[in-house]
Amino acid sequence: MNDVNKNLSSMILEHFGKDTVQIESLKPGLIAIHASSEKNRDIIKTFLDADDEATLSAISGVDLGDSTEVLYHIRTHGTIVTLRCIVPRNKPTIASITDLIPGANFHERETADFFGVTFKGHPYPKRLLISDDWPEGVYPLRKDAEIPSPETKAEVLPEEEMTTRAEGTRTVKIVIGPQHPALLEPERFLVDVDGETVTKVTPRIGYCHRGVEKATESRTYMQDVYLVERICGICNSCHSTTFCQAVESILDVEVPSRGKFLRTIVLELNRIQSHFLVLGHAGHEIGYDALFQYMWRDREIAMDLTEILTGNRVITSFLAIGGVRRDLEEKTKPRIMEDLKKLRERAEFYKHLFEEDRTVRMRTEGVGVMDKKEALSLCVVGPVARASGLKIDVRKEAPYAAYGEVPYELISRTEGDSWARLLVRAEEVLNSVDMIEYAVNNLPAGDFKIRVPRRVAEGESISRVEAPRGELFYYVKSNGTQSPERVKIRTPTVTNLYSVIKLTEGGNIADVPAALVSLDPCFSCTDR
Amino acid sequence: MVSIDLVFFIRSLLFPGFLFILLMSLFYDWVTRKVEARMQNRVGPNTAGPAGIFQPLADIVKLLAKERLVPHDVRSLAFTLAPVLSLAIFIFTLFFLPIDGSTTLSGISFEGDLIVILSIITLANLFLFLAGWASTNAYSKIGASRVLVMFLGYDIPLVIIALTPAFLANSLSVSTIATSQSIPFLFLIPWSFVLFLVTLQAELEKDPFDIPDAETEIVGGYETEYGGTGLAFLKLAKDVQLFLGSALVVELFLGGPYGPVYFDMPALWFTIWFILKVLFVVILGEFIANIFARLRIDQVLSISWKQVMPLSVVSLMATLIVAFWVLPIIGVGG
Repeated sequence: MNDVNKNLSSMILEHFGKDTVQIESLKPGLIAIHASSEKNRDIIKTFLDADDEATLSAISGVDLGDSTEVLYHIRTHGTIVTLRCIVPRNKPTIASITDLIPGANFHERETADFFGVTFKGHPYPKRLLISDDWPEGVYPLRKDAEIPSPETKAEVLPEEEMTTRAEGTRTVKIVIGPQHPALLEPERFLVDVDGETVTKVTPRIGYCHRGVEKATESRTYMQDVYLVERICGICNSCHSTTFCQAVESILDVEVPSRGKFLRTIVLELNRIQSHFLVLGHAGHEIGYDALFQYMWRDREIAMDLTEILTGNRVITSFLAIGGVRRDLEEKTKPRIMEDLKKLRERAEFYKHLFEEDRTVRMRTEGVGVMDKKEALSLCVVGPVARASGLKIDVRKEAPYAAYGEVPYELISRTEGDSWARLLVRAEEVLNSVDMIEYAVNNLPAGDFKIRVPRRVAEGESISRVEAPRGELFYYVKSNGTQSPERVKIRTPTVTNLYSVIKLTEGGNIADVPAALVSLDPCFSCTDR
Repeated sequence: MVSIDLVFFIRSLLFPGFLFILLMSLFYDWVTRKVEARMQNRVGPNTAGPAGIFQPLADIVKLLAKERLVPHDVRSLAFTLAPVLSLAIFIFTLFFLPIDGSTTLSGISFEGDLIVILSIITLANLFLFLAGWASTNAYSKIGASRVLVMFLGYDIPLVIIALTPAFLANSLSVSTIATSQSIPFLFLIPWSFVLFLVTLQAELEKDPFDIPDAETEIVGGYETEYGGTGLAFLKLAKDVQLFLGSALVVELFLGGPYGPVYFDMPALWFTIWFILKVLFVVILGEFIANIFARLRIDQVLSISWKQVMPLSVVSLMATLIVAFWVLPIIGVGG
């Protein structure tokens, strides 16, 4: 237990006394607080008051048989504090914290969908991830849930929001999605428009939810590495790294430092290609197709580098529990350096373009402004948070892989608009190129992988990785068998997406795509 | 009078009338697609015909062969007629422009036909608006209202700038303006030419002004509900509009169909010069379209009223100075 955690736990004990809360320490250096379900709001409020930059990272549920555990993962002082509240299965009710942290909205709805927990006082308690024709009363992540056959479909009630416009108002409802040229994946945003002004946005996700969290419970840890990698095609290595780190922490094994460096290289390559993808896509959204085509051409350099390193262009299958699966050959280093040089040149050009181009700035500056306070209350992470002046980055606050050693620079801006969010990404690409260059040149000798047992002892752990879109959060609980008991995956987009309501309401209809793309929403991550 | 009738039919239907206009429009459509593709590091159409030159024609043929669907809520008459009428009006307007040295039909040109052309173009835009308004679809309606709002922004500057060559030529007839350019007006009043190109981009709904059919915002804009023949006519109308707009630039600023060199058969050479000049304008327009992001509708309005509008008035005044004091000194012009 380090100093921060000691201070935190003594603070909690002082506040509530030993009768209400029990403190246990979790690996790696995290603390968990046990408390009764009535105290959840008080404890969370104490954390929010004690630290200006405290916010909610995730809410997850675990089925304990006759009761359900609700876990609040709070990020404070650069670490994660987990609050555990147990609610009985027959009356699973807990108070909502959306009035304390509006960003908890989606997290609570997700827990309600999967575990049947009722969050009292939630402003919009509707389904978020499971489909409208899913039968009432079946909660898929409960261990005894009987998953209905695909033919069983409940009656779908017409949503009142979808009805045509009310008499006597000037509002027109525009449906962006599930199929729309601005979206690459099926999600729906119901936009109320008065003339060209957006008055209300209602997002609905879950159009291609695949139940990965449930699927991990019936597969071995080894298979799960490949399964979680397929959650997202873009940040695939981030998913497998986070999962491997969580399992390694339960197993209590240390990855050899060559393995850590190779992980860093593949993670940064992931970031480069993801940022190029979204910056190009931003060009398309604001009607700048030439930029779109050029950025996607130059993204190929990063894809080629990924192929040299891992043997695959997209889904790398590079990570393994205990290290990585392939070594970097000495003879490929000159080619890598040459490509990195090209990549840096292009990245510098694009950074210059986003800084200078007049029409790009006209379309993105002042669009979807979110200040630091709002960013905290909406629980945004990654480049979105950094563009609003929040200096949060897992690579800095809890270095994993080789991030303690490679030259890293936290890039943040204070404008908080779409332009800042895009520019932060453009600058991060340059930093990533530096890190890869350093990691390749200073690759330590030795093993890149150690052997680990297939059976994982009972335990639980939290793992965080800074994916291209922000903090990727995994909570893994093992039960002593070959398969995990519970894997909670909180992708950056789930927590970032709620802020789209704040970013677009009151703006122009033409700004909706520009604001949405600046969040870099990845719906296949969302529908994990 | 048989021979006159024959000439009338050939000139109106074949050359330089209907067929020629359609073929040239499809050709320039191919040019824009190819230029756009090359500027974006793509290949562009490359399958139908040499270098894909028949691709626009193939697209139109494909659309014409499709089933005609009319959604049951639309205002049927307007929905059906709007694309046909806008196409017809654009083609009709081109009849006023001297393509092979004289207008399509002899004697159609008159003093003041520039005003008629400009007002007919406005009317055709109204039909595009009608196309969107007739379809009961939120995207179409927003697209349609954007056509009108855009029109508020750029139409007045367009008319003012289109009148500046008329002052130099001392005539409101397009044919006279074209013939009186012993030096193309581009070189005398380049500021007007630049302004006209900018407003033309807005008129043609091309980047940075392709707001009425911004696909990432409102899908297809006013053409969302169209398919099959209706869409074919809309696409053709847009193609002819591109040809018309570029041809107007050629007539007003680039000396019309008259070129520096020609040999026997002046009509043939006039046509060749005309095609080349229009090609220049089309490529220039496509170049502009590809180096900007799409603006927002409020930005277009504020740019056009705060910048383009005053500039066009200033440009008109500068042109008057050129017309009354500079031209007599160097001894050119009408």
